[in-house]
Amino acid sequence: MNSRTRLVVACIATLAVVLPLGWMWQRSLMPDTYSVAEMGYPDYGMNAKGKPLPTPSASTHGHGAPRTAKNKGISIATLVEPSKKAADVVVDLTAQEGTFPLAGQEFEGFVLNGKTPGPDIVVKQGELVEVRLHNENVADGVALHWHGIDVPNAEDGVAGVTQNAVVPGKSHTYRFVAEQAGTYWYHSHQVSHEQVAGGLFGSLVVLPRGGIRVRHDLTAVAHTYDGRRTLNGRTGDLHEVARPGEKVRLRIVNTDDATVSTWSSAPYRVAAIDGYDLQGETVVKGKRLEIPAGGRADLDLTVPAKGAARVQVGAATAYIIGPRESYPERPAQPVKALDLLGYGKGSADMPKPNRVFDYSIGRRPGFIDGLPGYWWTINGHMWPNVPMFMVRKGDVVKFRIENHSGQAHPMHLHGHHALVTARNGKPVKGGPLWVDTVDVKDGETIELVFRADNPGIWMDHCHQLPHATEGLVAHLMYEGYTTPYKVGGKTANQPE
Amino acid sequence: MRAAYLWLARIITLLVVIQAMSISWAYFGVNQYLVKDGGTLDKAAIESETLDFPGVVGFAVHGIAGERVLPVVALLLLIVSFFAKVPKGVVIALVTLVLIVAQIAVTMMGRADIGLFHGLNAFLIFGAAMAAAMKAKEPSAAAAA
Repeated sequence: MNSRTRLVVACIATLAVVLPLGWMWQRSLMPDTYSVAEMGYPDYGMNAKGKPLPTPSASTHGHGAPRTAKNKGISIATLVEPSKKAADVVVDLTAQEGTFPLAGQEFEGFVLNGKTPGPDIVVKQGELVEVRLHNENVADGVALHWHGIDVPNAEDGVAGVTQNAVVPGKSHTYRFVAEQAGTYWYHSHQVSHEQVAGGLFGSLVVLPRGGIRVRHDLTAVAHTYDGRRTLNGRTGDLHEVARPGEKVRLRIVNTDDATVSTWSSAPYRVAAIDGYDLQGETVVKGKRLEIPAGGRADLDLTVPAKGAARVQVGAATAYIIGPRESYPERPAQPVKALDLLGYGKGSADMPKPNRVFDYSIGRRPGFIDGLPGYWWTINGHMWPNVPMFMVRKGDVVKFRIENHSGQAHPMHLHGHHALVTARNGKPVKGGPLWVDTVDVKDGETIELVFRADNPGIWMDHCHQLPHATEGLVAHLMYEGYTTPYKVGGKTANQPE
Repeated sequence: MRAAYLWLARIITLLVVIQAMSISWAYFGVNQYLVKDGGTLDKAAIESETLDFPGVVGFAVHGIAGERVLPVVALLLLIVSFFAKVPKGVVIALVTLVLIVAQIAVTMMGRADIGLFHGLNAFLIFGAAMAAAMKAKEPSAAAAA
C-alpha cells in the first residue's frame, strides 16, 4: 500500500468511527422548547392476547384522533377541580430559597413557610382543599405535585406538562377534593431532582370520614439533607410520650431518592400503603418493610407493656413511642424484608384489562441532548424518543414493567392508583395492593392494572429523581387531549 | 502520529492504575465509615449523593475515569492507530477499546459476581495498552520495508 492510499484508508476509517458518533450526537439535540405531547412516538398498546391495538384513524374527532394529526383536542388546562364552591381548607404556602437552620446546623436549600419539611397538611376525607402557592424568591420557579392524590390533571403540579412553573413574585392556586383517606405528600415538580432533595416538600394526610381509632396518629417524613438523615427535619430520634397498651399509627413518608427500610422493636401491622388500606393484614415480627422512593407506609402498633416501641426509619433515625424516660436500644436491622405481594388477604374488584403496555427499562451508552452518558431506555428507546402511552377514558390498562437496567427503579404513575397483579409472571398471592409508586428491582417484572378514569397527560416516571433527568420519564396520555404548556425555552419549565 | 499513539497507550495504562488506586481508596473509606466511625449506608444514603467520608471521592474518580475518560482515550487511540503505522497498532487499539466497553457493560449489570471479571479484565486492559505502547516503540513496518 503506498502512503497516499494508506492515508485515504486511514481517513475513511476515521470517518467510519467519528461520523456515526457525530450523527448520534446531532440527532440527540433537543429543540429549545418542546411539548411533551409531541415527544417520542405513540404506543397504543396491545389487547389482552398480545395483538397490537390499532392506531385510531385521523378522521374521527376528539377521542381516538391520533395526536400526530393537527388535531387540537381538549386542552388539559380545562381539567381543573370542577367544584366552584368555597374551599373547606385553605392553605397558603410560600416557597423560598436560601440558607436556613436545620437540626442545629445551617442548610442551603428550600423552605415552605420558613421550614422544611413544609407544613403538615391534615384534612378530612371529602373536603375541598385549596392551596395557594407563592414563590417568594426561588429563581428556577416552583410547582407543587400532590403525590398519590388522584387530582384532576390541571391540578397535578408538573411544570411544563400541567402548568407553567411559578416564577418569583407569582402565585398559583391548586384545588382538589381529598377523596381518598390516607398518607400522601406534596413536592415540587419543577427541577424536582434539586428542589425535592433541597427541601421543597411536606406531608399531606387525609383522615377518614369516621376518624381513626388510635391514640397517637403520627407522621414521620424521612429525608436526607446534605447527607444528614432526618425525620420531620430532625436528626436522631423523635419521641412521642405514650402509655402502655395505647394504639399508634405511624405514617412514614419516604421523600428520598431511594428505598428506605423500616423495622420496629414492637410487632407491627402494615395498615396502608400509598394511602390505600390493606386487607387481612397480619402482625409482622422480625422483618423489615421496604418503602420505595416517594412511597408511604402506615404502620399500626401498640405501645408495649414495658418500655417503649422503637421504630427505625433507616438505621440513623427512629420514632420512639412510649414512656418519657424510656429509650430502647436500636433493634438490629432484620435481614428479611416483608413481601407485600404475599401479605394480607382479600381481593379487589378489577375487570380484565383491555389494553396492555410494556414498559421495559434498560440502559445503554448514547447521547441525550448532546451529552454523552449511560442513559436509561424505555422499550429500547432513549429519551426523548420514548413511548407515549395512549389510552382512552374507560380503558382498563395493564402495565408490564420489566427492568433489566442493572438498578432498581421506584416507578411512579401520576393521577392513578394501580393494583399490583403479578410479579415475574406469577399472580399476587396476598391481599390487594394499590400503589402509586412501586419498586421494580433489576431482573424483575411487575404487572400493574388500573382504570383509566382520570383524563389528561400524566407523567409515568422513576422517582429516583436524578434518574428522571437521565431519561427515565414517559407519559400516559388520554386520546383527544392536548397540553398548551411547553418545556424549556422562555417558559422556565423543567419538570425533572 | 506514532508518538501520539505511544502517549495515548501510556495514558491508558496510567488510568488503569488510577482506577485500582481510586476504588481501593473508596472501599477502605467505606470500611472506615461503617466499621470504625459507625456510619450507616443504604441505598437512600448512596442516592442522596451527599455522602461524606474519607475516600468517597474515589468512587467519583473511578466512575468518571472509567465511564468517560477511558473510552474517549481508547477511541482516540483507535483513530490515531489508522495513521500511526504501528505494527498491529489498529488491532491492539481495537482490542483495548472492546475490553474497555466490555468493562463498562458488565458494570451496568450491577451483580456481585461480575466483580471477579471486572478485576481480571482490568489487567487485560492494562496489558493491551502496554502492548500498544511497546509496539509503538518497535521500528515501523513501513520504515523496515
